[in-house]
Amino acid sequence: MKMTAFKGVLAVAGIQLITATMALATDITVWCWAPEFNGAAMNEAIARYTAANPDTKITVVDFAKGDLETKLQTQLASGTTEGLPDIVLIEDYGAQKYLLSFPGAFEPLTDKIDYSQFAKYKVELATVEGQTYSLPFDSGVTGLFYRSDLLEQAGYKADALKDITWEELSAIGDKVKEVTGKPLLSVDMNDAGAIRIMLQSAGSWYFNADGTANIKDNPVFKAALTSWVGMLKNQNLYKSVSGWGDYTGAFNNGDVAGVFTGVWMTGGIKGNNMSGKWAVAPIPKLAGVEGAGHASNLGGSSWYVLSSAPSKDAAIDFLQKVWASDVDFYQKILVGQGAFAAYLPARDGEAYSAADAYFGGQSVWKDFSDWQAAIPGVNYGIFTNEADAAVTAQLPGLIDGGDIDAAIEAIDAQIAQQIQ
Amino acid sequence: MNRLISVVAQAGMWLAAFISVFPFLWMVTGATNTANDITGGRFLPGTNLFVNIAKFFELVDAGRVFFNSFFVAITGTALTLVVSSLAGYGFEIFASKARDRVFAGLLLLLSVPFAAMMIPLFVMFSGAGLINTYIAMIAPGVASIFMIFYFRQNTKSFPHELRDAAKLDGLKEHQIFWFIYIPVMRSTYAAAMIILFMTNWNAYLWPLIVLQTNEMKTITLTVASLATAYTPDYGLIMIANVLATLPTVLVFFLLQRRFVEGMLGGVK
Repeated sequence: MKMTAFKGVLAVAGIQLITATMALATDITVWCWAPEFNGAAMNEAIARYTAANPDTKITVVDFAKGDLETKLQTQLASGTTEGLPDIVLIEDYGAQKYLLSFPGAFEPLTDKIDYSQFAKYKVELATVEGQTYSLPFDSGVTGLFYRSDLLEQAGYKADALKDITWEELSAIGDKVKEVTGKPLLSVDMNDAGAIRIMLQSAGSWYFNADGTANIKDNPVFKAALTSWVGMLKNQNLYKSVSGWGDYTGAFNNGDVAGVFTGVWMTGGIKGNNMSGKWAVAPIPKLAGVEGAGHASNLGGSSWYVLSSAPSKDAAIDFLQKVWASDVDFYQKILVGQGAFAAYLPARDGEAYSAADAYFGGQSVWKDFSDWQAAIPGVNYGIFTNEADAAVTAQLPGLIDGGDIDAAIEAIDAQIAQQIQ
Repeated sequence: MNRLISVVAQAGMWLAAFISVFPFLWMVTGATNTANDITGGRFLPGTNLFVNIAKFFELVDAGRVFFNSFFVAITGTALTLVVSSLAGYGFEIFASKARDRVFAGLLLLLSVPFAAMMIPLFVMFSGAGLINTYIAMIAPGVASIFMIFYFRQNTKSFPHELRDAAKLDGLKEHQIFWFIYIPVMRSTYAAAMIILFMTNWNAYLWPLIVLQTNEMKTITLTVASLATAYTPDYGLIMIANVLATLPTVLVFFLLQRRFVEGMLGGVK
């Protein structure tokens, strides 16, 4: 009895001690990757928040993306919460995996954040059983970046690239190669990004909402695979590359005339001293697929708060005050980092409507905003990487003339085997 | 005929040498070029060296990061040398019934991959309140089974007569170890030192798991972090790699002669 009372006193003293320290200073730790992009955007947010809350100290720790995932996974699996950050960045494709594999590890923010202010597809991918867990950050809204000078030589003005199909893009590639000698795209055969873009552009994915594979009886998947293989068979269309460096190098060096990818590539493209020679068009659409459009997504990530975080409340307050309400902040990171936000009110800011001389005076951010609003929401499930691998394994055979239905069977079988 | 064989052998060696050295050359020339030149495949030295260096020192708290790496590598190497050589000495010199069984058990442990021990280790260190400390980085590697094995094997060539003579002269066991064994086995130590320094300097997975703050990061983690940008700056990554490689190269060349002796088997 005495002992319990003593413990009680200790506990109260402990709580007081904690509250006392909290009143003095709050430490928030953030884990992310890409210091020049995610880290820089976070630091800008921190500067704004700490100006008003000088007692709060927020530290960004950056790791390689794969490293961050290894680390987070190990620590969550160990069940030890010590050393976990308060806020962590997670790539959208992996969101469901973390939320479902580690229930209770992340803090639901449904009551804290007004999600109607964020792009719908970003909210959906971080929602499990009616609870949303993320503060949606950068968008992966896709566009077709192209060298306007080269395409003009080949006879294509901006309007000629609007509302086309992937097959028409392939034909344009022929002409561009013929006139300029350069292929239109660079393609890494081990990257299934194109398939992902095509699937989501028609509101479909590798998986159904219940997590089962959506391959065999999915007309969108068949259409996407058919279109992509058709493009890959056209040797004039692309330069074959291997790895990310080669892939980005191809258009940054001017070896190829364009790339269709996420909006986050804008910063890289603008770093090339080719002002006025670039433009952005909406991506082509899947021909003959109901509901297929010109808006899709590739990559992108969001911030999550750990339930075990010692400064959880302060972390949420920080996200609310800056990331979920500061329009001006979003203008700043758009200009500084090319970080295109999923926070919809940001569109009304000055930077989002500005014309960009690098893209020949096109209001690229406004275009991306319009396309973003049209991205269909899909459930990424938890095995996107496994599905990617199953798809890329079949591509070489298909390019050599393999049967598409047989390949779809094989992809389905490989995914089924991996996710059981 | 002999001449032909010699020419072919020479050519083979040149080819092997080229293949081994090429990545280093590519790294060093890359450090002088811009990211676009590197992805474009430019092999000639460029003019971007100082830009890359300046950017590296601007982005990375180099003093802190290199201090961490050196501190962990040097302390880790020294402690492992002491513990493992003592164990190797003990295993070889003192005969007992259980000796070979214990040793066989140790060797069996070598087959457990680190990935399998990572989570239990993390839980242990967390329980001891040692997450994000130098101790946590260094301690798991100090009793290195491979090093114990290596020292035991090399101790086989340590002449027992030396120990007997020293005993007759009245030296205690620790004095024999310190004044006789270590000087005689210095080549073995040198080779072990190079291997350990490299292992500690390049350590990646465990430091990654156990370190939590920027102040504790080592150069290997920093280089990896630089490489995951959306549009990676390869010039910057290459200069970071050059700087990260230099210390191990220096250690190797300083101890090269001893290293070769040590690898050829122990006593000098």
